[in-house]
Amino acid sequence: MSTSIEVRDLRKRYGTTTAVDGLSFTVAPGEVTGFVGPNGAGKSTTMRVILGLDAPDTGHAHVGGRPYRAMRRPLAVVGALLDAGAVHPGRRAKDHLLWLAQSNGIPARRVGEVLEEVGLASVARRRAGGFSLGMRQRLGIAAALLGDPPVLMFDEPVNGLDPEGIVWIRGLLRGLAAEGRAVLVSSHLMGELEGTADHLVVVGRGRLLVDTTVGDLLAAASGGRVEVRTTRRTEAMTVLANAGGTVALTDTDALTVTELAAEDVAAALTAAGVPFSQLSPHRATLEEAYMELTRESVEFGAMEVLP
Amino acid sequence: MNVVRAEWIKARTLPSTPWLLMGLLALTVGIGALAAGTLHAGECADPANCGEDFAKVSLSGLWLSQALAAVLGVLALGNEYGTRMITVTVAAVPGRMRILAGKAGVVLALVLLPAVPGVLVVSALARPIYAHNGFALPGAITGASLRAAGGTVLYLGLVALLALGVTALVRDTAGSLSVVLVLLYATPALALVVSHPTWHDRLQEFSPLTAGMAIQATTNLDALPIGPWRGLGVLAAWTAAALIAGAVSFVIRDA
Amino acid sequence: MSLRHLLRAEWTKLRSVNRWVLALAAAAVFTVAFSILASSGGSTDRQPNVAVGPGGKPVADDFHFVHRTLTGDGSIVVRVADQQNSHPQAMAGVMIKNGVTRGSSYVSIAVTPGGSVRMMADFRDVEKRAGTAPRWLRLTRTGAHIATYDSVDGSSWREIGEVDLAALPATAEIGMYVSSPGEIRLERSAGTTSVGERLTTGRATFAEVRVQGSAGSSWTSDDLIQPGLERKGRPGPSGTTEAAGTFILTGTGDIGLNEPPDDTVQIGLFGTLAGLLVLVPLAVVFVTSEYRRGMIRTTFAAAPARTPVLVAKAVVMGGVTFVIGLAAALVSFFVTQPILRAHGFGPPMFPAPSLAEPRVLRAVIGAAVFLTLLSLLGVGAGAVTRRGAPAIAAVITLTLVPMFVGSVVPAAAARTLMLVTPAGGFAMQRAKPATDWLVEPWAMIGPWAGLAVLGTYAAVALLAGGWLMRRRDV
Repeated sequence: MSTSIEVRDLRKRYGTTTAVDGLSFTVAPGEVTGFVGPNGAGKSTTMRVILGLDAPDTGHAHVGGRPYRAMRRPLAVVGALLDAGAVHPGRRAKDHLLWLAQSNGIPARRVGEVLEEVGLASVARRRAGGFSLGMRQRLGIAAALLGDPPVLMFDEPVNGLDPEGIVWIRGLLRGLAAEGRAVLVSSHLMGELEGTADHLVVVGRGRLLVDTTVGDLLAAASGGRVEVRTTRRTEAMTVLANAGGTVALTDTDALTVTELAAEDVAAALTAAGVPFSQLSPHRATLEEAYMELTRESVEFGAMEVLP
Repeated sequence: MNVVRAEWIKARTLPSTPWLLMGLLALTVGIGALAAGTLHAGECADPANCGEDFAKVSLSGLWLSQALAAVLGVLALGNEYGTRMITVTVAAVPGRMRILAGKAGVVLALVLLPAVPGVLVVSALARPIYAHNGFALPGAITGASLRAAGGTVLYLGLVALLALGVTALVRDTAGSLSVVLVLLYATPALALVVSHPTWHDRLQEFSPLTAGMAIQATTNLDALPIGPWRGLGVLAAWTAAALIAGAVSFVIRDA
Repeated sequence: MSLRHLLRAEWTKLRSVNRWVLALAAAAVFTVAFSILASSGGSTDRQPNVAVGPGGKPVADDFHFVHRTLTGDGSIVVRVADQQNSHPQAMAGVMIKNGVTRGSSYVSIAVTPGGSVRMMADFRDVEKRAGTAPRWLRLTRTGAHIATYDSVDGSSWREIGEVDLAALPATAEIGMYVSSPGEIRLERSAGTTSVGERLTTGRATFAEVRVQGSAGSSWTSDDLIQPGLERKGRPGPSGTTEAAGTFILTGTGDIGLNEPPDDTVQIGLFGTLAGLLVLVPLAVVFVTSEYRRGMIRTTFAAAPARTPVLVAKAVVMGGVTFVIGLAAALVSFFVTQPILRAHGFGPPMFPAPSLAEPRVLRAVIGAAVFLTLLSLLGVGAGAVTRRGAPAIAAVITLTLVPMFVGSVVPAAAARTLMLVTPAGGFAMQRAKPATDWLVEPWAMIGPWAGLAVLGTYAAVALLAGGWLMRRRDV
């Protein structure tokens, strides 16, 4: 399976608001692509355009080289979870999946199989109105899996799941990617994607900010940070600044050094005879990297440096 | 009074509200004028004594406008159930009776907004239309025609409240609206084919639409199944029953 | 994703919501119940002494007859010198009849002021040609074979028609007759409707009367009149004046089928009004509930071509409605006929209708089609508005309100209302032909007109809904 999602120069306006402004990216098979951005960044719009629900003003979004609206059995190509609440409360869970399966000629036995996969087999005959939020999420995920599609799209799948559910979903997403499928997961919380996503597409205000692997993003974001605890701060600062680092005062006894690897900090301080009680290298989290990226005005090296 | 203000904002910011109000006004004026236009003095058997009920004909818009009043009443509460906003409302204002009372007041006000000018405009429009068609109407405004016009406005208000009460019971927008429309329109339909005199009269006396619309009559009052005020009273009784049942349901049941 | 798949999907959607299935069942029950109600509430005070023709149907057989007894073969020739224009369908002519009992078999030929030469046999028109008084008329009998002719000059005759009337005995009455129907006036004005009949008296002069065959020697004058009928003033007595072989006849009445316009089949199917009050909201909600919950996105993601979704919904909803509607209509028909008979809607004025009659079958199926088209209209309206309340309100009021309004406005306005609103669809449930003489406005248009109106509404709604569905963002 080598089906991917391709978005090219996508532009979509609603009235006077430009929701998506010249967005281009690719979701490749075999990995989990995180689609991240603050609320209102254009993620849901983009996903709707991919699914042919909204028509773009310019540009296109293709799956496996074809537009969604041209597909005869789309559920066998793309499985999507957009809105878990979109179920008629009076309908039983299995009936909801059944009509979906029937609409695309998917055999009815798949209904039982996907319910089993998401752990809802015991409540198949219960009406969706009686489902908790987490159960509805699982039902939506089951719906996405019905056609055994090579491409999967999940919009905020972690919403409403308890910690056990979050762990389960991470496993599911990684498992799907491992099977060679293209998996697109959108979220406005970067922390969710930590450990799950391989590739990141970060958008802000309808524009692409970053399209990169997680590793590269982490590496690029503020490098590492080293926290140093010392009573002789002034001296330490001078030494470290001379060594090429950027130093900022944090706590009463602590310094934060950037752009210097932890070993170099240790070496510089030792060479200068500055004692320190604690030296902790601090790897930027995805969260922090993302926050930096999407801040309004991006300030690199705006930390105070005291003489 | 904050409740009333909150309900007012909710109601007037519903996207359907301006359409409903405009529609109510348009139907009241448009259909009444059309109906007035179909009467011609020449078709009277006795031109001097036509026996037409001029006021009632000019107010025939009520046949349709009451459906809009019903929709207004249904949406005022049904919308909240549909969007589950009802839980927010009830949490914000724990006195449920106050919520319902606030809604009732707002619904009434909203209906009056197009109803009063509508009735006034169509009554004014009707005169030149009738004159053009050859009728010589008395110049003064009679008590009967005032009753017809004012009663029409009251009727609309009562229907909207009736719809509100039913919605509090049924809770589902489509279902409530259907119930109200059946209540209003089914009995006159039945009366069309029921020619048995006793049953025919009973149907018309006790059904909300035929009894209530008696308020519009200004002539031939003996031919009515029920007197004008008594007829409106029948509609008021239905409305009261719906509101009481709805209020009880609203207060007691889970939101 | 073919239409076949979508049909299965939509059927699953419909049958898997208990409330909707319940509504379908309720619709059928309400239809039957309401039909029973409608049938029980009716009563008719039609004339008890109505005549019955050879075919068993109620007939009017009122006229002034001047006749002789003819045994065996023979003929009669007259010259209708003039005819007063008392009514376009007044008749002056000759007739051979089985006695002078109202409702008995006969053959006649007459002129009318309306400009036709009309041949009738057993209360049915056999032939009609153009012609008016003064005119020669001839009727000949050869065994069971009766032929009629007319002429302008008395020498060159054209045959109008011929029939074989086996029921006519060897001895029959042959002679001249005059009739003039009453004018039925239906007055509709805002608020009241009244029906009344104004009688007319016809008058004609018959000259050069010749009868051939073994006929009685003298002319007998008879008035056939329905007894017990309240007359609203008789303009003049009927009678015969003879002077030198020329007869002047005056008479009142009409000859022909006298089926009352009330349609017992329609009354028995009236419950569809209750059925539609449940089926229309259901059809609307079948579409709008998807929009309300955002499920429409899931549906369109499964079927991005979109239009087939609406088609599938329409087919499923329409098909289910038709089946339920037909079942309810059939049950209503069979259950209500005995009830109607018990309330006076029985023979002879109202012969029992049977499904074997094409027009009755058409009306019963028409009831199912009526409900089906309305539910299709509901589906389309729901697709257009995407919200339940406006669609339900619009369809129901457009269907119901013209019904009552149309019964209290002048005829022209009422007929227009029936032709421009879905209410006209009620006409599909009538077995009898269209008539202006009932309070119900939908009786004024024929069933095919009703089908056309309602069908157009449904088609436009579905087309508009489908177009909007494709175009709009979701």
